[in-house]
Amino acid sequence: MNAPLFVIEKIRKQFGARVVLDVGGLALHAGQSYALTGDNGAGKTTLLRVIAGLESAQLARALYRGLAVNLCAYPEWLRRDVIYVHQHPYLFRTSVKDNIGYGLKARGAPYRERELLVQEAVRWARVEHLIDSPAHKLSAGEKQRVALARARVLKPRLFLLDEPTANLDAESRQQVVTLIRDLCDSDGVAVIACHDQEIIQLPGIYRLHLQAGQIDHRGGQLPARDPSDRSPLGASAASTPAESLKWQAVAND
Amino acid sequence: MDWLTTTRKAFALLFTGDADLWTIIFVSLKVSLLAMLFATPLAIGIGYLLATASFRGRKLLIHLNQGLLASPTVVIGLLLYLLLSRQGVFGSLHLLFTRRAMILGQIIIALPVLVAFTLSAVQGADPRVQETSLSLGAGQLRTAVTTLTEVRFGVMAAVFSAFGRVVSEIGCSLMVGGNIAGFTRNIPTAIALETSKGEFAEGIALGFMLLAVALIVNFSLAFLQGEGGLK
Repeated sequence: MNAPLFVIEKIRKQFGARVVLDVGGLALHAGQSYALTGDNGAGKTTLLRVIAGLESAQLARALYRGLAVNLCAYPEWLRRDVIYVHQHPYLFRTSVKDNIGYGLKARGAPYRERELLVQEAVRWARVEHLIDSPAHKLSAGEKQRVALARARVLKPRLFLLDEPTANLDAESRQQVVTLIRDLCDSDGVAVIACHDQEIIQLPGIYRLHLQAGQIDHRGGQLPARDPSDRSPLGASAASTPAESLKWQAVAND
Repeated sequence: MDWLTTTRKAFALLFTGDADLWTIIFVSLKVSLLAMLFATPLAIGIGYLLATASFRGRKLLIHLNQGLLASPTVVIGLLLYLLLSRQGVFGSLHLLFTRRAMILGQIIIALPVLVAFTLSAVQGADPRVQETSLSLGAGQLRTAVTTLTEVRFGVMAAVFSAFGRVVSEIGCSLMVGGNIAGFTRNIPTAIALETSKGEFAEGIALGFMLLAVALIVNFSLAFLQGEGGLK
């Protein structure tokens, strides 16, 4: 088994006396995608936001590629590897093109390169025809696709998608599912909070089930991974404490 | 006095290019626009920090700023007078009864207005703006610029209000400017003076100009803000 990309141990979040999240541990493996399921209020969004560093929580420790990181004082370099996409993505009041190029610009990508990558991204998301449209005038489905393109263009290692298909009509939903299927096939790790059966049943996706703030221990192990898999970690990291953690992923059957 | 004759006289003054009148208008515009130029970036920065950063004394600062919103301009003039007069702490700078003193006063008057409006605009921004910006890898500065751009309508409202307050204030300008003809006499101080002398035509002409200045500046700012402004 290859070493995990991201390991978080003992995440706990409470508002006053109400515990919204209390997860023993979570390990995310490179090249693997996860469907995070659970009822409304189970803590799916909170968990994703904690991993993305948008919300603070108490946690025992977090390891990113074997390196201890502080999620409450999120390091800048980690932001470049992890992207969170809201359930209702916010598009800046600029053009679709500028929205997609935003992260590239923040990374100091030169104009030429930005143009090329943005062109490729709009083709991927099938929003070429909208490239110069004001982003706030798009439909919900188009916004979601632009937001996915805006995230993907940055080639992050970890995509955190919060209910990407909720509140979309059938056609838009199908288009978004197609994009997500493609994301899951890529090198990155995607964690998708959703209720969408089609996403949960995508081939090779593993299900993490949250219940009342806890990841459901329904047993099941991640199958041994293909040794030829390009793991970002060497064998040295295989001895991380994460290995001693019980896998909490429930293989989808 | 017949108001019709007076108004006709007022327009005659304006259109015959009365030099004194235009100097007064020039002083008003120059002082207020310069004051806004200095105050705006500073205040927007402060307002943004007050809205987004968390530090000790933040709430106190916000309350203090809200209080300053209602500060009478004569009191600001009085304090500035005490500081700038010969015996004052900054007496050696010889700023009293100069345009610079008026600019300084108007900066102090504009700051709380700009800060308060920026603060509420940024606080009213969709929380996803900052989160999206950060998550896409933008640094603090880029995130701030993006957020302020997204709430530009609110920020422009700050600028409108502050400009309206400084261009029309009289207390501070009178006290630290001294209403010196051709030098520190601006529209409000001139109106007060002309009216007290019984020169209503001059007063009305200046009053029209003050209104026109306020409208023109507001329209040009609204034009600059383009889309994303009024709906």
